[in-house]
Amino acid sequence: MKTSHSSWTYIFIAHMKRDFLTNSRSLIDLISIIGFMLLIILLFPLGIGPDKEKLGIVSNAIIWIGLIIAILPSLEKILQKDYESGWLDQIATTDVPLEIVLLSKSISYWLIVLIPTILSSPLFAILLSMELKYLPWLILSMSIGGLGISLIGLNGSALILGAKRGNILLPILIIPLMIPILIFGVGINEAVKTGESPFGNLFLLMALTLIYLVISPFISALLVRIAIGR
Amino acid sequence: MFDWLANPNRFKRITNKLEPFLIVISVILITLGLYFGLFDSPKDYQQGDAVRIMYVHVPSAWLASLLFLSLAISCVFYLAWKHPLADIISSSIAPIGAMFSLLTLITGSLWGKPMWGTWWVWDARLTSMLVLFFFYLGYILLSNAFERKIDGSKSASVLAIIGVINLPIIKFSVDWWHTLHQPSSILRFDGPSIDNQMLLPLILMITGFSIFSLYIITINVKTKLIEKKCEALLLKSNLREFV
Repeated sequence: MKTSHSSWTYIFIAHMKRDFLTNSRSLIDLISIIGFMLLIILLFPLGIGPDKEKLGIVSNAIIWIGLIIAILPSLEKILQKDYESGWLDQIATTDVPLEIVLLSKSISYWLIVLIPTILSSPLFAILLSMELKYLPWLILSMSIGGLGISLIGLNGSALILGAKRGNILLPILIIPLMIPILIFGVGINEAVKTGESPFGNLFLLMALTLIYLVISPFISALLVRIAIGR
Repeated sequence: MFDWLANPNRFKRITNKLEPFLIVISVILITLGLYFGLFDSPKDYQQGDAVRIMYVHVPSAWLASLLFLSLAISCVFYLAWKHPLADIISSSIAPIGAMFSLLTLITGSLWGKPMWGTWWVWDARLTSMLVLFFFYLGYILLSNAFERKIDGSKSASVLAIIGVINLPIIKFSVDWWHTLHQPSSILRFDGPSIDNQMLLPLILMITGFSIFSLYIITINVKTKLIEKKCEALLLKSNLREFV
């Protein structure tokens, strides 16, 4: 296969297609993630108490944290299956650039898993009695931050390839990396609430996501090559 | 120079000679620093005697950051040149750095209770220090999570290099966000803003702590080298029996 520029886009689209196909055959994963997030959201009113004002103050943060916790168990799967079946080894031995393949994997993870979960957030907003005028900002911030989260998740998934008890290790490794995204993501709606301009936080969130977009495929490719060399 | 030191036997010979000096110097420096810090330095006009916690808190915070930087540098050496000694050094640094960051958090919260009225605030510097602790923890856990030690070392090295992003955040957090933690008073462009009588014990403690951690790291490295040798010998004898 030629590795000219036009064929890179071809590789990218072909791998996206593959991920879409394999994931659409097993929608149960997605449904279980949304169900898990619903249960996390459910715990908060039970713990804090059903007071609408109290919930309204923290609802924005709860939905963000719920999203991060709900996707943690599925992050491991981004690469694990392909690693165990030997697919990643085969890709690494061809002259297909591994970085492009991994980038397509994290973007398809974002589109397949995160976007549907984020789009179901109106349901969570109603459950937490959040004012609906904040909802567009919440969805916007979670969609942008979600790309960053899936790129970090790709790194985490590559870090634990072949590890014992990797699923326990993964949250400890990547939650510290997600802290900035959470801070700026929640900050967008907090700024809207206090009547300030949300664009400062929005641009910082975008900048962070773009930085991850540039470095994450290279770090993951390095990690995958290390894992395959084992 | 690194090539020259990278020979394990030469490393052992040199550190054997250095070790007594390191421990003696660090004990002298820490004793002097503690004496000046606890008895012979003025009380702070606002904080009273509680300011003396600083003489442990600040050195351990510096070392926690410094050790993480050296951990990452040694990880770069390991990934780039694949020298086993670099891996041994980084895995010896990690637990010590983790202990120093924990010590920083504990002394900080002991100081925070009388001064700020609370054990913990979600201040930018405190949070980033906690994150540093989790990076150390992640490094230690990940490097032990694989069947073969060498597999974990490589992945954990990458994690340590990613974690370096956190260091400038710790350093500049007090300037970027004006929060509860006071800004730095020693490393400033316009010279230290701290009284000389307080600066002296602080510098003594910082050098003492650094030399002390260097001492522990060399002991750790030597122990690990011996462990490796034992493993190799065991493997050899087992093989001989087997054949």
